[in-house]
Amino acid sequence: MGSLFDIRLVFEYFPTIISRFHITLLIVVVAIGVGLLLGLFIALARMYKIPILNQLSIVYVSFIRGTPLIVQLFIIYYGFPLLLDEIGIDVTQWEKLYFVLIAYGLNNAAFMSEIIRSAISSVAVGQHEAAYSVGLSRWQTLRRIILPQAFLTAFPVFGTRVVTTFESTSLAFTLGILDMIGQAQAIGSRTYHELEGYVVLAIIFIAVSMILEKIFIYAEKRLILNRR
Amino acid sequence: MIELRNVHKAFGQNEVLKGINLKVNKGEVAVILGPSGSGKTTLLRCINFLETADDGELIIGDSKVNFRNAARKEILAVRRRTAMVFQNYNLFNNMNALENVMEGLVTGRKFPIEKAREIASQALDKVGLKDKYNAYPLQLSGGQQQRVGIARAIALNPDVILFDEPTSALDPELVGEVLAVMQAVAKEGITMIVVTHEMSFAMDIAQHIIFMDGGNIVEEGTPKEIFTNPKENRTKQFLERILPRWNYTI
Repeated sequence: MGSLFDIRLVFEYFPTIISRFHITLLIVVVAIGVGLLLGLFIALARMYKIPILNQLSIVYVSFIRGTPLIVQLFIIYYGFPLLLDEIGIDVTQWEKLYFVLIAYGLNNAAFMSEIIRSAISSVAVGQHEAAYSVGLSRWQTLRRIILPQAFLTAFPVFGTRVVTTFESTSLAFTLGILDMIGQAQAIGSRTYHELEGYVVLAIIFIAVSMILEKIFIYAEKRLILNRR
Repeated sequence: MIELRNVHKAFGQNEVLKGINLKVNKGEVAVILGPSGSGKTTLLRCINFLETADDGELIIGDSKVNFRNAARKEILAVRRRTAMVFQNYNLFNNMNALENVMEGLVTGRKFPIEKAREIASQALDKVGLKDKYNAYPLQLSGGQQQRVGIARAIALNPDVILFDEPTSALDPELVGEVLAVMQAVAKEGITMIVVTHEMSFAMDIAQHIIFMDGGNIVEEGTPKEIFTNPKENRTKQFLERILPRWNYTI
């Protein structure tokens, strides 16, 4: 073992580690996509107080928000196959990555649903009334008037959520996913140079987070203009 | 013609409408007067189901709806025969003036876009906003916003337009432009039911004055009857308080 920290190794490891960036990106994209769709569904179930779905949603959201992500990851990983086995679907051959995607998607849905719900309820009652008064149905009102306005309100929080999700992908390696973190670990245990790999990770994460933030701030400015 | 029969509405223990019967003829401008809390706005909002009355009937044109068991479809049908102008304008904040006026036509009534644009621009021209098609609500003054609100209502060519205190939220110097537009709408023979505190509008434009108090219609008639010769004491009392008497000598 040489010195504890060798700056040359940072440059050496960088390409190897960033070559796994697409896994991280995949988790983020799926988590946000599933989160948005399922989150919207949960938010609407709660807003319109749809029987059964409403109660289920409340329990679901408080479970997800009340337990650590790593616990959810393991529950999905070990529990989901058992559950599916009950209804005759065998998932023992599935790649680990699928479970990770499901876990991150479900996790994000709970947070997204709260973001969407608060954004929708922040739209003034008068907007609903005006839409009804010109003869729009409840669904048309939601689609044409309420959701577009709620979207603008939710956008900044949504941006924060994307960055948070990106950071939280760092737990995926606990299931043995070879993402950037997994790669850094692998290098560390092979070469005994742990620190360099993590420095690379820190640089990548901070750079990507800053870029994401900049993109969202720019998009927010462009989106809002005079509309609010 | 629009008719209300025995309309009741309570918010919890508070009975706001205690059996209202009202008939407004086609082409008529009806103004509802009364102290605050008398149920004027609630009555207006019951007509297009923004509030659901507990009991009573609504007859609008050839269709008859019972408030007690109106189906969602019936409610939508009534809303497509009426339009409303709100105290706080309630323009769609995510749309510019033209889109605001087009929305009910395109999404609600399935007009082709070109046709809707034509109707909407005519409506905006009528309210004097020819140069504001692309302005968003927040770029417009209160008076301009309310004129878009009126354009949005007339573009729908409804059986009746409901005005809920349309000038109450405006700066005093902007009231005039909105009243002028309302007067022009009245001249076109569109049925209007107006809740307002603008006595000049009630006296000069309306054909039918309805005075409400405590959830009842106390008295109704022509402006002449109500303003010069009210029969009920409660009406006299209200008018004395609200009408300026220019007989002071200083």
